[in-house]
Amino acid sequence: MAPSSGLSRVALYTGSLTRPSTTLASMSSMRRALSSWSEKVGDAANRVQSYISRSTDPYLNLSIEEHILRKSPADSHVLFLYVNRPCVVIGRNQNPWLEVNLGLLDGRTPAAATTPLIGNVDLVRRRSGGGAVFHDGGNLNWSVVCPKDDFTRDKHAEMVVRALRKLGVDRARVNERHDIVLDQADRQSDSDPRDTHRTPYTSDGDGDGAPRPLKVSGSAYKMISQRALHHATTLLSSPNVRSISQYLRSPAKDHIQAKGVASVSSPVSNIGVDMELFKETLQHEFRTAYGGGDTQIVGDELLENDSIRKGYSELRTNDWLWQQTPQFTISLQPAANIELIVRHGVVHEVHHNQGEDGRLSMLQTALVGRKLHEIRDWSAFLKGHIRPWKKEDNVLAQQLQSHLPVLQLFET
Amino acid sequence: MAARFSVARAARQLTSQAARRPSPFACQRWQRPQSIVEKRLFTVSAAAREKKYTDDHEWIELSDDKKTCTLGISTYAAHALGDVIYVELPSPEMEVSAGEAIGAVESVKSASDILSPVSGTVYEVNSALEDKPGQINIDPEDGSWIAKITLSEEPEGNLMSAEEYKAYTEDA
Repeated sequence: MAPSSGLSRVALYTGSLTRPSTTLASMSSMRRALSSWSEKVGDAANRVQSYISRSTDPYLNLSIEEHILRKSPADSHVLFLYVNRPCVVIGRNQNPWLEVNLGLLDGRTPAAATTPLIGNVDLVRRRSGGGAVFHDGGNLNWSVVCPKDDFTRDKHAEMVVRALRKLGVDRARVNERHDIVLDQADRQSDSDPRDTHRTPYTSDGDGDGAPRPLKVSGSAYKMISQRALHHATTLLSSPNVRSISQYLRSPAKDHIQAKGVASVSSPVSNIGVDMELFKETLQHEFRTAYGGGDTQIVGDELLENDSIRKGYSELRTNDWLWQQTPQFTISLQPAANIELIVRHGVVHEVHHNQGEDGRLSMLQTALVGRKLHEIRDWSAFLKGHIRPWKKEDNVLAQQLQSHLPVLQLFET
Repeated sequence: MAARFSVARAARQLTSQAARRPSPFACQRWQRPQSIVEKRLFTVSAAAREKKYTDDHEWIELSDDKKTCTLGISTYAAHALGDVIYVELPSPEMEVSAGEAIGAVESVKSASDILSPVSGTVYEVNSALEDKPGQINIDPEDGSWIAKITLSEEPEGNLMSAEEYKAYTEDA
């Protein structure tokens, strides 16, 4: 009844969708398996659930998570673990031009890269709040869906700290931003080992020169009617930990004034704990808190589920990725004499100071009403609208290209 | 045995945390502080028309001709959310169905849906919230309304009077 000492109790998901040519018989057994998964998530008797994804597709994993948030019983607790391929994930109300070094995402090393690039990196806008984070194979994402009445922002970060401490990570604690950090100061004094907000290495002084704690896990939340989702990253052993900051530093940072949510950047570190061991320990900690039994493995087959496929497609639209961006102003002065006001990803106003020769009205005609993400080659675009083309127009095009690079991320 | 011990320890941990750290930002529970209900009575008194509340903590106020309504979030919800840093408004002319999200607010890394209890078409949004989202923490049931909607059908479903809503939030 009570969880036994055995940590690893994983039931393999039976529906398989790996071969391209599926027979009719296996199609129908697959459909049965799928409807049974969806029914299992929604089963009122299923009050503690635990899943782990074998997919590394960030859009799919976020959509499975959203399905769990919306479909699991109102009084249930659900744990979901997943690892994504390299991607930058921005918060619901963030600005990708401001938060992300978009020019690095396609993996072609530009001269500006300060550390080696990782190759193709996906860009994802999640449905929860908060700031921009980087994911890769050394980062475990955990999420807990629980009743809203039962929710606090710290509760499940505390659960994760307990799991880390069981693995000997005694510097881990929850900080005032509801993130998990590793304290870096020398041993200060004993602390209550049950206190998940303090360690023996916590430094009380601000300006005493003690090294700053390093962030290892960042949290974000989504609330719907009766339910709350807490999800977070956990940097266990990312090989890219030194590269993360260059992906999250936009060349347009000093030129954009944005509404919405700005990221708070923090120095990060790997925890240095084995991925499989951490997953098991965290699942055990979850069962200790809420009970429950087996963990079910899920994956690509869930794309056959209508609601998950719908969520997956929505996350992969340009509308969601770019046009959900809160209003912003980009001003490229002094290098170039232009200011754009962008609402819902669409150029709303253009200001330009060299108005006498009709440049302003040419630029307005070209840009107002245009979706910013659709302009991929600024030089070619502007040459189609500005005549005669002057030498300073090259500077304008070059500035726009370097500050507002947009990649073809999805097939349209 | 071992498991039971760790359950007990986990429980102690939670209670000891709660007891030791009454810091305002650490544990914002979705739970009303005692003082809000009294405060709300004062803000409500300004409105001559009667507000109706949903169990998801939105309010609507019908116009005299009952053809339009104003929608916002309750004072209870505004306190539970914490500091609001962005309000995602609906687009004007958006069509909504009862029970659907009409917008969202972000506070302390949390995105929370705002649900419409009525069906109809948005005809005005409170653009002032774009520049000053934090205002919604100050007067959520007055100047910081979210949207005005032309109703396509009479409101139905579970809408509470101020009295009923007060009792509902006290039970929560």
